[in-house]
Amino acid sequence: MVDVRSNWRVALLVVLVLGSLGALFVPGAGPVVGSAPAENATAGGGPTNLQYGLQLSGGTRVRAPVVGLTAENVTLPSDAGERSTIATTIADDLDNVSSADVRLRLADSAGGEDTVEVFANVTPSQFRSALGAAGLDAESATVRDGVTAATRDEIVETLSNKVNSLGFSGAQVSVQSTVGGDAHYIVVEVPNADLSEVRDLVSSRGQVAVLAYHPANASAQTNDTVLTNEDIRRVSDARMQQGSFGSVPVVPITLTEEGGASFAEAMQRYGYTSSAGISNCQYPNGTPGDEYCLITTRDSEVVGTYGMGETLASSIERGDFQTTNSFVLQTNSMSEARQIAIDLRAGALPASLDIESGDVYQIDASLAERFKPLSFLTGLIAALAVSLVVYFRYGRAKIAAPMLVTALSEVVILLGFSSLAGLSLNLSHIAGFIAVIGTGVDDLVIIADEVTTEQVSSDRVFQSRFRKAFWIIGGAAATTIVAMSPLAVLSLGDLRGFAIVTILGVLVGVLLTRPAYGDILRYLLTDDN
Amino acid sequence: MPSFDVPEVDYTRYSNRQLAGVPLAVLALALLVLAAWYVLNGTPVSLGLEFTGGTELTIHATSAQAASQDAVRQAFSTPVSAVRSIPSRPDTYVATFGSGADASTLQSQARSAGYEVVSTTSTSATFGAQSQRFALLGLLGSFVGMAIIVFVLFRTAVPSGAVVLSAFGDIVIPVALMNVFGIQLSLGTVAALLMLIGYSVDSDILLTNHVLRRSGSFYESVDRAMKTGVTMTVTSLVAMAVMAVVAYAFGIELLTSIGLVLVFGLATDLMNTYMLNLSLLRWYKFEGVSR
Repeated sequence: MVDVRSNWRVALLVVLVLGSLGALFVPGAGPVVGSAPAENATAGGGPTNLQYGLQLSGGTRVRAPVVGLTAENVTLPSDAGERSTIATTIADDLDNVSSADVRLRLADSAGGEDTVEVFANVTPSQFRSALGAAGLDAESATVRDGVTAATRDEIVETLSNKVNSLGFSGAQVSVQSTVGGDAHYIVVEVPNADLSEVRDLVSSRGQVAVLAYHPANASAQTNDTVLTNEDIRRVSDARMQQGSFGSVPVVPITLTEEGGASFAEAMQRYGYTSSAGISNCQYPNGTPGDEYCLITTRDSEVVGTYGMGETLASSIERGDFQTTNSFVLQTNSMSEARQIAIDLRAGALPASLDIESGDVYQIDASLAERFKPLSFLTGLIAALAVSLVVYFRYGRAKIAAPMLVTALSEVVILLGFSSLAGLSLNLSHIAGFIAVIGTGVDDLVIIADEVTTEQVSSDRVFQSRFRKAFWIIGGAAATTIVAMSPLAVLSLGDLRGFAIVTILGVLVGVLLTRPAYGDILRYLLTDDN
Repeated sequence: MPSFDVPEVDYTRYSNRQLAGVPLAVLALALLVLAAWYVLNGTPVSLGLEFTGGTELTIHATSAQAASQDAVRQAFSTPVSAVRSIPSRPDTYVATFGSGADASTLQSQARSAGYEVVSTTSTSATFGAQSQRFALLGLLGSFVGMAIIVFVLFRTAVPSGAVVLSAFGDIVIPVALMNVFGIQLSLGTVAALLMLIGYSVDSDILLTNHVLRRSGSFYESVDRAMKTGVTMTVTSLVAMAVMAVVAYAFGIELLTSIGLVLVFGLATDLMNTYMLNLSLLRWYKFEGVSR
């Protein structure tokens, strides 16, 4: 009869192994941590609940810093109007910078301080002088590379929205920071996507605007922005709409109340609703001084030009427009219309990513899918080789068999853990699993040799020998954990996963499986001997 | 039942000087290789793309005339810094470019020249420089951490120093061997070196523990420690050798290089533990303690 109380470690091991097998194979027993990895389950597929990273499933990863500078130690006015004047002044002082590229943030209740960010390629000294031009204390301000955490979070959110609305499943967007926090990278991982797709996605800001292209005087035209992303409350799907010049691609939108009011006011002020303004657009061939066009732009590129419709003009004049606030953005092509709908829904990226200073990894799905079984097979063959060595060395099934079962159960527990934690497995993790088998068997050899040097006569003798063996194992485990821990915190690519798997494996081993092996050996060697 | 035994070595036949001489000479040779490498190439190890920055394209030729290294060179307008073929995957080539090349442009050039782009890795020079710093920091950090643990475990200078010295050799000699065998330092091989730091001290700890803390004569303790320790190291060595060979056959380069570096390291560890560490321990046990 096996006494459960003195064999609780073995019992716990069995429970954990069964639990891990459940987590691995029972359909639907997927990750319990977080919601983002859950979407990854579709990318994993296969007979297990394991999820695979890019290396084993195919796709593209882009990792890049955000373009921008941040000024800290500045004091901003509490009045929103004054702040927007400051932003405009800073933008005007810098070349190729629009006011959308300048962001002023007030210290929030959670602490922090006032900051000014500029999302463009400008030098710190240029930025500093622009701050001075805007009436801020440029002397005491500290200007650093990079953007604020709030901006990074916004970028992550916007990019996640974008990849999801493009229909890529299992995509992950996150921030990776170096130790000490002196550099931050945005990491975009999209399974089954090509490099160019992901590049387009992260390098375009997706700023949509409607410009009024109207006469400045009798012989010249001028541009004024009348709508931006911020003025839009709801976006419908892009579709073809019958207009006076045939069917055109459009994106129907609903403006916010303020957006609608200011748009209507601008249209009236520029004369679009007058008889001269209605349907008077031949852009770009019209006569300067007599053109009333609305221009849809995306990242400052013209994607649609159209004139003021008669219905809309009269609706604005009557004041009906200001209650419905519905507007129709026109574009030149259906693909542009779809793109704009996505941009409007996901929001504009506050800043773009500097791909040139980051890194890119892409792997074809067919190769990655081939790596998946092959890498597991490699691990299995390595485990088999270990078994053969152990078998030849001991020649006693009583010692060798439980040794292998224990070492393999460590891997099963780790796999179960990865499945529950939603860890995306890459080649480095598989290398980690193989390393765990290696260190595991090492320790089991120590235990086996220690307790079998002479005939084990009693439980007490066994215990004292086991404790001696454990001193060595503990020491060896401590060195492995210490040796691996720098990798677990440094952001050195995929090595983090490898280090975490190895450390976890050693911990599971020392705390659970290796003592359990001791219990099994004791049962086999002392019982009825 | 089949079984093999760890052979017993008659250490009384060799002096400490003889025993320590071999591993120390190998260590000196390894340091010499690294120094020569540094003088010739500016770095003690050849750095892989992840550390230098650059772009690497793995491409598969879809036509017979594209299936040569010369054809690969012709396909790109950017100068190719190196082309190699992957033996286990027919018609597949790896083309490497210096930093500054644009990955998307290279991809489209490869496609229009009749290649399938199987995988792309591109690292900017700044990113690479940062990884270099982190890798160095990581290696130093884990080595120092390991040394501290060893000193805490044994609390005596000579035995602890012997373990640390032998671990140092376990890292340096494989790095020199990497240069000799043309393996570049990549993230994977850095991981392997870190793993070596953890792996290689196991047998040293075992040996030192048996000699210092167990009853019995020095040679009895050594015999027992060797029996266990050699089994341990040989098991790991076999596992890693098999992993390297199998991964090579499957064309999984990361696992191949991790496996190879560990094979180098574990083989070095056998020599360092049972020649260098052992002779230092024997000196400490018979002469050092009485001083």
